[in-house]
Amino acid sequence: MSSPFSINGGACVAMVGKDCVAIACDLRLGLQALTVSNNFPKIFQYGDNVFLGLTGLATDVNTVSDLFRWKVNMYRLREERQIAPRTFANLVSSSLYEKRFGPYFVSPVVAGLDPKTGRPFICGFDSIGCIDFAKDFIVSGTASEQLFGMCESLWEPDLDADALFETISQSLLNAVDRDALSGWGAHVYIIEKDKVTKRLLKGRQD
Amino acid sequence: MYDAPTMEVLLGITGKDFTLIAASKAAMRGATVLKASDDKTRALNKHTLMAFSGEAGDTVQFAEYIQANAQLYSMRNEADLSPSALANFVRGELASSLRSRKPYHVNLLLGGVDPITHKSRLYWLDYLAALAPVPYAAHGYAQYYCLSILDKHHHPDISLGQGIKLLNLCTDELKRRLPIDFKGMVVKAVTKDGIIDIEFDDDKVVHAA
Amino acid sequence: MDTLVARYSRPAYQQENQFDDIEEYDYAADSVSGPSLKFAMPPVAHPSSWLRAATDDRSNPHCPIKIAHGTTTLAFRFQGGIIVATDSRATAGNWIASQTVKKVIEINSDLLGTMAGGAADCQYWLAWLGMQCRLHELRHKRRISVAAASKILANLVYQYKGMGLSMGTMCAGVTKEEGPALYYIDSDGTRLAGNLFCVGSGQTFAYGVLDAEYRYDLTVEEALELGSRSILAATHRDAYSGGFINLYHVKESGWEKHGFTDTNPVFWKTKLEKAEFSNVTSDFSEEV
Repeated sequence: MSSPFSINGGACVAMVGKDCVAIACDLRLGLQALTVSNNFPKIFQYGDNVFLGLTGLATDVNTVSDLFRWKVNMYRLREERQIAPRTFANLVSSSLYEKRFGPYFVSPVVAGLDPKTGRPFICGFDSIGCIDFAKDFIVSGTASEQLFGMCESLWEPDLDADALFETISQSLLNAVDRDALSGWGAHVYIIEKDKVTKRLLKGRQD
Repeated sequence: MYDAPTMEVLLGITGKDFTLIAASKAAMRGATVLKASDDKTRALNKHTLMAFSGEAGDTVQFAEYIQANAQLYSMRNEADLSPSALANFVRGELASSLRSRKPYHVNLLLGGVDPITHKSRLYWLDYLAALAPVPYAAHGYAQYYCLSILDKHHHPDISLGQGIKLLNLCTDELKRRLPIDFKGMVVKAVTKDGIIDIEFDDDKVVHAA
Repeated sequence: MDTLVARYSRPAYQQENQFDDIEEYDYAADSVSGPSLKFAMPPVAHPSSWLRAATDDRSNPHCPIKIAHGTTTLAFRFQGGIIVATDSRATAGNWIASQTVKKVIEINSDLLGTMAGGAADCQYWLAWLGMQCRLHELRHKRRISVAAASKILANLVYQYKGMGLSMGTMCAGVTKEEGPALYYIDSDGTRLAGNLFCVGSGQTFAYGVLDAEYRYDLTVEEALELGSRSILAATHRDAYSGGFINLYHVKESGWEKHGFTDTNPVFWKTKLEKAEFSNVTSDFSEEV
């Protein structure tokens, strides 16, 4: 209950569709029972179609998102190209493991499309960098148990962009409605070959 | 794990073209009020003000360290950092201190007016260095009483007069419900023309319903 | 009679075997069926500390029994009677166990009780209180006063002090002799009469809104709106409050229910029509 992972609350989910991926997060920032802000997005963009979702301790969500902005900018300057999702996932993994004995209290989720093949890519991590590759969906945050339940029942293979948006939105909204520490609105990103759509969901505000 | 809230009061409210920052005047150690006219704020530059509460010693040390660095930047570059730039700088300093041998234990409100866009800004930072931009904020037990009042009565385009009325609504409730006397508030307003001290009536007696 | 006097004439701490004594405690001659005072005790040396170790999820998140906690309840006296309002969320840790809990307990057609703390404790003892009130009516051929009813409950929970009961409740009723009467009773044994109380994890948020606009001469309509708005404020800021707004108006002719309303449409109506909750983003246009 007072683990660093559940002080601030928050939820994040990523899903694979047909030639598209989706990633969504809630907007709550809390201090245990108290809701401090309803506008604390947990998804960050690191390239045309590379996205990172971060749940856990809010200070580390700030720190880690800033850290990767710096690392990805350095990568882009050095390589003169955008970072690919799989490369980024490995960067996340090794950066987290660098803090093996004093970890960042975050559970990251990466979602994107491979720039060469256009294939969907999603993966999740534990707080010290173990990668969890998945073909279907990845969940993280204080509502992860609820999200697993929703995703296991709603997700199916080869959803098109619109169906994927509906599936991920329903999964997230209904999961956070059963978690006291997340919710208060949501952001959803649908990532297609040359189009990224960001939507704000109107969630329950209690 | 997360530290219990304190009786020190910090409040911040943004309005149309200003940000109000208020901090309680009591400096308390244990059961004693050491001073009843303490100023828990520091000006970082002409249009950014920071209010702080937390561990004795850490608060002023950290605030003045930040103040000195903000002033150094202004002198070196002949330009002031914006409130958002300062908020991120403060967060970085507090976050790196958090994983050091002796972390600063300081909660902050950073309010200001953006010198270019003239938009009012307010940032909430706790001692873990979690940063959130907000329209109004509080720290300590004041959060539990005042946020619901502000949820009901705050609007983004209020005037300075309405902002001070709103602040009175908050301090009245704190006087009514907090079990200790916080000795009134230091109130300052940040506008595009600089930081102004606001006269605030501390002597009003409030009775519980 | 002598045995009764003997029992009341010594303080509780002098009683040698408290548990046995409570079992014998003769509130209703125990011949009536319904809520009883016979409780099975765990076969350990210190039942209350054993229970605390098993149920206190604050000090031990992995405790085997999680009792439903977290609430906002309020009640206030005004010119037209008493307003009673609650949320409807039950949480076990961070899990939202229910969004449709009835936290206003209808003790009888005149008296209302509210529920904060242990859900089972409140439900059981307020049902039991209803029984005591009915017995009072039968014995004395008139309605029990709110003062007496609340005192029966306060004395009862005080008997169990230290044994892990967890309740923060308010008793509201209007009688000819007392007018609108409101009492706060908690499991520590506190019993207070007052104009205005908020109880539960979201109490401070409700107090904030309520105190700012509370007056004794509120109209019925204003009072109902203020009660409902105060619960809404608490459900928004307190993670452990939410669900529905349960609203009651207590008058001398008895209580009147004013709905069990989902907070979600109420929130968005309040935000969009009155421009409150400016902290919540409402621009839902698509961004690319």
